Parts: sequence; C-alpha cells; structure tokens
Amino acid sequence: MSSSHDTHAAHDAATSHGAHAEKKSMRLMLHVWRQRDPSAEGKFVTYKLDDVSPDMSFLEMLDVLNERLIAGGDEAIAFDHDCREGICGACSLTINGQPHGFESETTTCQIHMRRFEDGQTIYIEPFRANAFPVVKDLVVDRGAFDRIIAAGGFITARAGSAPDANALPVPQVAADAAMDAAACIGCGACVAACKNASAMLFVSAKVSHLALLPQGQAERNSRVLAMVEQMDKEGFGNCTNESECEAACPKGISVSNIARLNREYLRALASSD
Amino acid sequence: MSVTGLLLIGFLVVHLAGNLQLFSDDTGEHFNAYAEKLKSFGPLLYVAEFGLIALFVAHLALGLRVTFENRAARSQRYALDRDRGARSFASSTMVVTGVIVLVFVIVHLLDFRLREMAPDGLAAMVVRRLSEPAGALIYIVGVGALGIHLSHAFRSAMQTLGLNNTRYDVPIARAGKALAIVLGVGFAIFPLVYFSGAKGSTHSASVRAAEPGATEDVYFLGKGGASLRGFEFRGVGAIEPSHLDDVGDPRSIGREEQR
Amino acid sequence: MSTPTAVASSSKLDSKCPSGPLAERWQKHKFDLKLVNPANRRKFHVLVVGTGLAGASAASSLAELGYSVSAFCIQDSPRRAHSIAAQGGINAAKNCQNDGDSVHRLFYDTIKGGDFRARESNVHRLAEVSVNIIDQCVALGVPFAREYGGLLANRSFGGAQVSRTFYARGQTGQQLLLGAYSGLMRQVGEGKVNLYARHEMLDLVVIDGIARGIVCRNLITGEIKSYAGDAVLLCTGGYGNVFYLSTNAKACNVTAAWRAHKRGAVFANPCYTQIHPTCIPVSGSHQSKLTLMSESLRNDGRVWVPKVGDETRTPDQVPDEARDYYLERKYPSFGNLSPRDISSRAAKQVCDEGRGVGGSKMSVYLDFRDAIVRDGVDAIRARYGNLFQMYERITGEDPYRVPMRIYPAVHYTMGGVWVDYNLESTVPGLFVLGEANFSDHGANRLGASALMQGLADGYFVIPYTIASHLAGRKFGKVTAEHPEFRRVEQEVRERIERLRNAGGKRSPDSFHRELGLLMWDKCGMARNAGGLRQAIDCVRELREQYWQDVKIPGDAANLNNALEHAGRVADFFELAELMCMDALDRNESCGGHFREEFQTPDGEAKRDDANYCYAGAWEVDASSSSLAWKLLKEPLVFENVKLAERSYK
Repeated sequence: MSSSHDTHAAHDAATSHGAHAEKKSMRLMLHVWRQRDPSAEGKFVTYKLDDVSPDMSFLEMLDVLNERLIAGGDEAIAFDHDCREGICGACSLTINGQPHGFESETTTCQIHMRRFEDGQTIYIEPFRANAFPVVKDLVVDRGAFDRIIAAGGFITARAGSAPDANALPVPQVAADAAMDAAACIGCGACVAACKNASAMLFVSAKVSHLALLPQGQAERNSRVLAMVEQMDKEGFGNCTNESECEAACPKGISVSNIARLNREYLRALASSD
Repeated sequence: MSVTGLLLIGFLVVHLAGNLQLFSDDTGEHFNAYAEKLKSFGPLLYVAEFGLIALFVAHLALGLRVTFENRAARSQRYALDRDRGARSFASSTMVVTGVIVLVFVIVHLLDFRLREMAPDGLAAMVVRRLSEPAGALIYIVGVGALGIHLSHAFRSAMQTLGLNNTRYDVPIARAGKALAIVLGVGFAIFPLVYFSGAKGSTHSASVRAAEPGATEDVYFLGKGGASLRGFEFRGVGAIEPSHLDDVGDPRSIGREEQR
Repeated sequence: MSTPTAVASSSKLDSKCPSGPLAERWQKHKFDLKLVNPANRRKFHVLVVGTGLAGASAASSLAELGYSVSAFCIQDSPRRAHSIAAQGGINAAKNCQNDGDSVHRLFYDTIKGGDFRARESNVHRLAEVSVNIIDQCVALGVPFAREYGGLLANRSFGGAQVSRTFYARGQTGQQLLLGAYSGLMRQVGEGKVNLYARHEMLDLVVIDGIARGIVCRNLITGEIKSYAGDAVLLCTGGYGNVFYLSTNAKACNVTAAWRAHKRGAVFANPCYTQIHPTCIPVSGSHQSKLTLMSESLRNDGRVWVPKVGDETRTPDQVPDEARDYYLERKYPSFGNLSPRDISSRAAKQVCDEGRGVGGSKMSVYLDFRDAIVRDGVDAIRARYGNLFQMYERITGEDPYRVPMRIYPAVHYTMGGVWVDYNLESTVPGLFVLGEANFSDHGANRLGASALMQGLADGYFVIPYTIASHLAGRKFGKVTAEHPEFRRVEQEVRERIERLRNAGGKRSPDSFHRELGLLMWDKCGMARNAGGLRQAIDCVRELREQYWQDVKIPGDAANLNNALEHAGRVADFFELAELMCMDALDRNESCGGHFREEFQTPDGEAKRDDANYCYAGAWEVDASSSSLAWKLLKEPLVFENVKLAERSYK
C-alpha cells in the first residue's frame, strides 16, 4: 500500500490493554459513496471509525460501521456480500480506487484490516460502469452478466439425454485450461478495473471454458457470436488490451482468454454456418 | 483498429527502409533516385497514397469511435482511480500519442509532400528541415510519440486479432517493444544526425545549403554520422526492405506472423 | 412435549414409498406416476424458489420439459447461491476406479453415515441417480478433474473406503452450480423461465388446501407482489445461520421454508445439524461468518491442546510430554482422521475443560511441525500451500511456523421440511428440494453428498414426481387477483410494518448474534435436557424482546438490508425454539444430534432404535393461541440394512 494514507493518528491512543495488547485497535477515516437509489445523486459521506480490530475482514469493518449507524438511527450502508469466503462473487467495492482493494487475487470479503494502517483514509466507491448501474450506495446491478450468459454461455444438454461422462475423454490439459477459465466468479471487477469498463475478460472466460471442452464444440460459433452481441448491447466499453482486468481479477483469469475470445469470434464470423 | 494499425506499421517499415537510403551514399542521390522512382509510378503512387490516407483515416476514425464508446461506458468516473500496475505508460497514453502523431504527420506532409520540390532534390530538403532546431524538435517528438504508441500497439493488435496466447505472449510483447524501438529510434536518427551535425562546425553550411547543391549537406551528414557514438551508417550500404531483419531486432519473431 | 413411546405413524405422514425390492422401487414408481401431456405442460406454471443446485436444476429441467417456470432468488444473480461454496466434491456410484463401489454400497454408506435415520427408499434412489448426475454435469461443461488419458478422476473423501468423489479442484460446488446456472440461463434466454433476482419469498399462499403461489418482496423496490402458480418448489437451502456463526453465506436463511411451515408444511428433524471440525476459529466479537478449511489438512496435521489449562508457553515451546494429542489418544485407529462429529465433539470437550488455545481459549492446535520435519516444508507447501495461504490471510499467523488453530463450526442442516417420496410436503402442491428438505441424510450427512442430493432432486426426481400433483389432482386456475393472495400480501405488509414500527434500540444483527450464541451453547455440538429447557425459555423471552426492541432505520420501499435481515431473524427465533424442542424430544444421540445424557461409557453417541427410529415431524398447532407444535412421527423401516453402531475406535 503506498500513498493512500494521509493521516497518521497517534498509535498510543488506540492501544488496547490486557492479554491481547499486541492487537492494537485501529482508527479509520472512511469516505463512503452514498446514493439513495438509481436516480438519486450520490455523494461521499465521511465516517470516522475507531476501535477497528486488525483481525476484522473489510466487510466486518463495514458491519461494525453499520451497527453504529443503525444505533444512531441512520440507515446502514448497502453493500453486496454473501459467502464471505471469496467464491460467490457478490462482494464488490472499489477500495481506494481499486476494485476489491489492493491485494492481488483477493476479493473484498477476504481482505483483512491488518493490511491497512492505523489512521488510514479509505475511499469506498461502488464498481463504476454504465452497464452496472448503481442500485443503492455501494450496490450495483450486474444483471448484464446474466443476460450475456443467457445469450449463449451454456452447452445445450437436456437432463436425461447426456451420454456417459467418460464417453468423450477430455485431455487433462484441456480440462485444466477450461477449469482455469471457469474459475471466474462473475464479480465484475474486470469491468470495474478496466478504464473502458469493458467486459471482455468475463465474456472470454466463459467462451474459453466452453470452447476448450469437446462438449462445447457443437455451439462453439453461435455461442461466441451471441455472447459478444449481447455484451455490446449492454453498453460495456471496448478492450484496449491494457490487462488491468487480469491484474484486478480475484481469481487470476488470464487475458490470454481475451485473445482466445477474439480468435473464436473471428473464426465464427468466417465460418459459413 | 488492429488491422489498420498493423498495415500502418507495415508502411512505417517500408518508409524507414526508404529513409535509410539517405545514409547509403554521400550525395543523397540514392535517396533522390528512390523518390523519383516512387514518382515514376504516376497514378499508381496516388492510388497507394490514397490507400495510405484511407488507412490512416480509418485508424483514426476507429480510434475515435473506440475512445468515445469507452468514455461513454463509464459516465460517472471514480473519485479516486488507481490502476493495478498492468497499464503501461504507452497503453495509458495511446490517445495522446495518437494525437501527437496525427499533428506530426500533417506537419510532415506539409514539409515534404505538399510543398514544391526544391531544385536540389528531396534529400536536401530533408536535411535542411531536420537541421533546424524547430524541425529537429518536431521530428524527434513526433517519432518519439510514434515509438511509444507502437510499444503498446503491436501486442495489442496481436491480442485483438486473437494471434496471442500464453505461450507467445512474452515473445510477442517483446517483439512489439523491439519494433517500437527500431521504428522510433530508426526515424529519430535522422533529426538527431542532421541536427547534431548542424550544431557542429558547419552550422553556416546548413544556411548555405538552402541555396547550393546537396553535396555539402552530405558532407556534414558524414561528420554527424561519425560523431554519433556507435552509429556508423555509411558502411551499411544500400538498404532494401529485405535486409531489415539485419537492422531490426532478431527477437522480433512476431513480425513474421504479421506479414 | 411428547414422551418416548413406541413409534406410531401419523396418518398425515404418508411417505408414499413404493414397495417391492429396493433396487426396483424407483423404476416402478416412475412407471406408476401419472404423466402430463406435453401439450398441456405449458399451461402449468411452476414457481421455483431458490436457484442453488436444486433450484437451478429443477427450474431448467422443468422448463425443458415444457412447463412454464418462474424462478426466484434473493441474490443479485442465480449464480451466487450458496451451493457455490462447496469445495470437496460430489459422490456418484459410477465405480470408475474398479474398487468395489456400487449403487448399493453408496446407498449403504449413506444410510449408515446418516446413523440410520433416513428412509431407505429415498437414499437408494439418490444412489441410483447419482450416476446420471455426473453424466449430466459433464455434458453441461463442468470441468471435472481428469486422468492423463482424459477419463474422469476420483478421490476418496470423508473417510469413504472407495474413491467415488468427482471433483473440480477445490471448487466443485462452484463448477456444478455454474453448470446448472448456465442451463437455467439458457431457459431464461429462450423465454421459458421468468427470472426474478433479488426477490425474497415472504409467504406461501394456500388455497383450498393446495399451494397456489407465493408472496415476494422485491428487494430493490420493496414492492410486495404475489405470484400464482400450479406448484411451488422450495429450493432454499438450510438453516445453519440460526447459529449466527456458521460456514453458510450471510443471506442463507430459513424464511421461505419457515413461512411454508407456518402455512401447514410439517418440519422434520430440525435438531440434526452438522458441525465441521476444521474451521478457522472466531477471532473476536466482530466475527460475521466462519470459514471452512479442507478436511484434508487432518491427513498431516496433528490435533492437540496443552495438558493443563494454564499453559503459558508459546506452542512451539510446549514439549511433547505437555501436549495432549487427544484424538490420537482417544481413537487410536482413526486418530486425527476421526469422523467430523467425533472430532468436533472432542474439540469442544477439551475446550470446555479449559484447555483450549488462542485468545478466547476456544480453539485447538492443528500442528504441522512433525509433518514438516518428516516430509520437508516444500512437500507440505505443495500439498496445502493454498490452504496455508488462506489461513494466513484470515488470521495473520503463519502456519509453517505457528500451529494452525481450528474449531468446529455449523456447516449443514440435515433437518428441513418433511417431504414424501415425491418430494412433496404435507401441503399438496408444495415440493421441497435439496438441503431445504429433510429426506436423504438422516442424522448426519456424508462428505460430498450435499451436491449429489441437490442435483438428484432437481434433475432426476422432480421432473417425474411433479406430475403426481399436476396430473394427479384436480384443481382449477387461480390468479394473483384471488382474495387469498390479497389477504396474505396484507399479512406480509403488516409483518414488515410491525418490525419497522417496533421503535426499539437494537439492530436485528445484535439480536441474531445473541440468539446464535445461545443456540451454539445449548443446542450446538452437545445438548442436554436442562440446557434445552433453559434455551427454550430464553429463546421465547428474547423473541418477545425482539419484536419490541428491534430497530430498523430506512424505509420499506427501497433496498434495505436491515429490514431483510430483520424478517429472517424473526423466523430464526421461531425455528430456534422448535430445534430445541426437537432436540429435547429425541432422548438419544445420533449423528449430528448428541445428547450428553445418552452416551456410552467412553463418551460415544448412543442411539435408541427401539424408541427413536423415526423422523420427528412438527406441525404448527393451529388450535393454540400462541406458537405451539404437535409432534408427528414417521417410523423408519429398515428392510435392507441391519442397524449397527458406528464405531471408530
């Protein structure tokens, strides 16, 4: 973490006593985006929060803030979260200008406060992209991703009609590569981190996952065309190959998938069917 | 953008090769002959030039469209926006370097294409222009911006055309950088050589050079070339595009694919 | 409260299990079920609540069959359902490893693992269709681990003696859910499923004794709206969050199942909760959830606590003679790999003795010192590198140098809405699938079986059994304009207003924490009659207080997390009481239910098959003015297995 701390509060004031004296509590200055609803004007509201335990996760720190807001009769800050173990993709937040914060391959829910400094100022904003409209405060609508999947991010396989799972061997290399791409949690950090708000990494991860498997071949062309068409409709930006998405991706999805997506797309355009 | 960009890179390679004719003799005759040769294509030259302009305009138009679409994709900006270190200086300044190159290209065309040919030939015009402080500066900035632009452009184009993958990514990225250096430095050498030569003992010669023949220009070309550390171009001989790989970076594997 | 008597079946609980040879029952039943004419299917509207493995697979399969389907989820996308967090794998009796697995062996292991408290017919069907699940998932593009030759890989999981677990790295649940989700989204794209994300079912509408629809709150706009249909499927997961701290996702709740229960669906075996032994311990009062770590860590880690409670040395300074490797001591043959419930209880025991470690003294060491000395740090890093990294990220401690600290946490709930063999609850037309029902795991679930059950129910059971209702009963069409919908909507609104107008001082979360602590203490890993009675009183008292002292800022016509949470906590309060009652009724120890009064002399669970071989199903007593229940019993009949005692000595 480099230059984001602009205040260094005195450490001694926050020192706790007794058996756990090694765990100092922290004080934070939070600038949180508050927006009542999609049509309302949003603004930053500043909260000073003390008694933050370094063992808290980032979201637990927000829980504590929310509890205090509720106790004071104020409405809690809305933010998306669910599994809190880095797999559901619900949590978002742009922390000090970086989606999911500064730690690499880490979702917001897995960041712990010990990685911040006592007295630090933290800006918390929603993921910003026109295709992800703000619903309230820090909550955005990522339904565009669902619509892209609905457009083509699947293999058509009716329950009951599947052949034996071993009838079609999948080379281990292909299975591993498909799994690398399939690890995407659909959180939208790629869009949020991209200066163009492009969804190419998300789309490419799904296209790659299915294009790499023999099961995905039948719909290979129609899938990529339909998904890209839907992506364009949703108003995401274009990819300018800066790889910020890859760097921000909590699951380390590689931009080589984007090259594959482009390849698949050109291939599908060129094919006659 | 990737296709127009790569084609423009192709043009730049040929352009640089042509420019190197300037160094192939002491008189500038080779270069002038090369220019005459191009002229002799007559209408074909116009077709080629038109194609080139079309490419350039298309690249520009696509770039503008992408830029505007990308801006429109996030109308509410971040209050605090910090990248994750994946962006390079080049990738984050593509629009800026692109605009600089555009301005530069216009100046460049005004200098050498849209102006009446000097009686002492194109080579002399070039040397005169690049010997002026303002001229040298414009050309160094212009081709510098071009080099920066290219250092992101090549890999980006390969990515967009789907020609990249995990195995080739590093070689392609390196090839892109190498290409940018070869083209950027390659073009920059001309203003550097002429301008540094002009700064030498024969500054007045450059003024004189406006009237007499090209011979004297070539005289300080030789001196300038010799005065640049390690750059000895007089021995290179006639350079044709096919020899580019000798001059270029041998690591530029990707260029083969691009052709 | 019922006292143990010889088990008599309640007439209300007709399991509809087919008779005949076990292996032929499902085939026979499928043939006996009525069919819905393909042309008529689109006229039937099925409401599917929840989009996890069970919900997504059910909704997509039914839509494929031609039914008109609406799917509802509380998350912003169906892909975020908590099935996604399952790590280990999915069982299937495919016998790919040629190691003696079979449908019957999976059936037997599941019955035995469930401590003989599940229905034979259901479990056998589960084992049968497990084979098809893998085929279906592979066809959908689930990237299961493969051998070099491209065939499916397996691992042994959860102490099973055969390798029948299929897996996709440590993200099997994620990959299975994304597969089911993609199938669902395909149907959404084709217009065959209407998807309602960020919609919470707040009540069930029963008309003329048949489930006819649901009332939902749009979590974004706060709108209360009714959805009418011809069948309702609850696929809403388990209720582990009644303990506040669990490995469940924060949004997991019992509300949909509980509202259905209040409308007449009988709720079975609520006291069966599974505790997972290897979770990262609570770090402080701010703790919002618990994180599970793979049980595979126990292959190399040794579990210990100091012999004395007032040990002041740091763990590395404690010599072996001052350490108590209690699992190795008590269970020499299984040692550190003893089953989940046994390891969990043993950890609780040593902590209760005051020998726990860490700041709160509520954790035990899982020490890799000896493994590192034996195999080298690189070998350990290769095996567990990512887990160690996750641990360090969460705790700030380096497990290569300091022993890990672990503690058990609530992980899964075997109890749920009572369903018959058709997965239909006691309210006709209301089906319950996946973790939300009680049917297949008895008193304890085997590792890698939850994913199996969710997909079995959705892909291969409900598509057949739903016809028993749609084609088997006569009922007319109703719309959401029906007065009963209006009435229930009104009740839902009133309930929300009551919560909002309580005008108290405490957040829903603070009540939830208090309830969770109480439940963990009295109705957690070990229970006793005195504690349970006390807990029932406390829960009632706290619930009363809740409705007067809860505070919910913000309005109801907007996204309001506190309001959503408040409704769920209110239902947890009622469920908590029932869980304690059920635990109190069951005067035996079995699976995830351990009653301290009922243990063998060496501290093991002691079942009472003579008196408690039944599913305890609770019905809300409508005649009572306050909340009260009647216990109905479904006797469990074992014709194909011999009831045996689990022993891991």
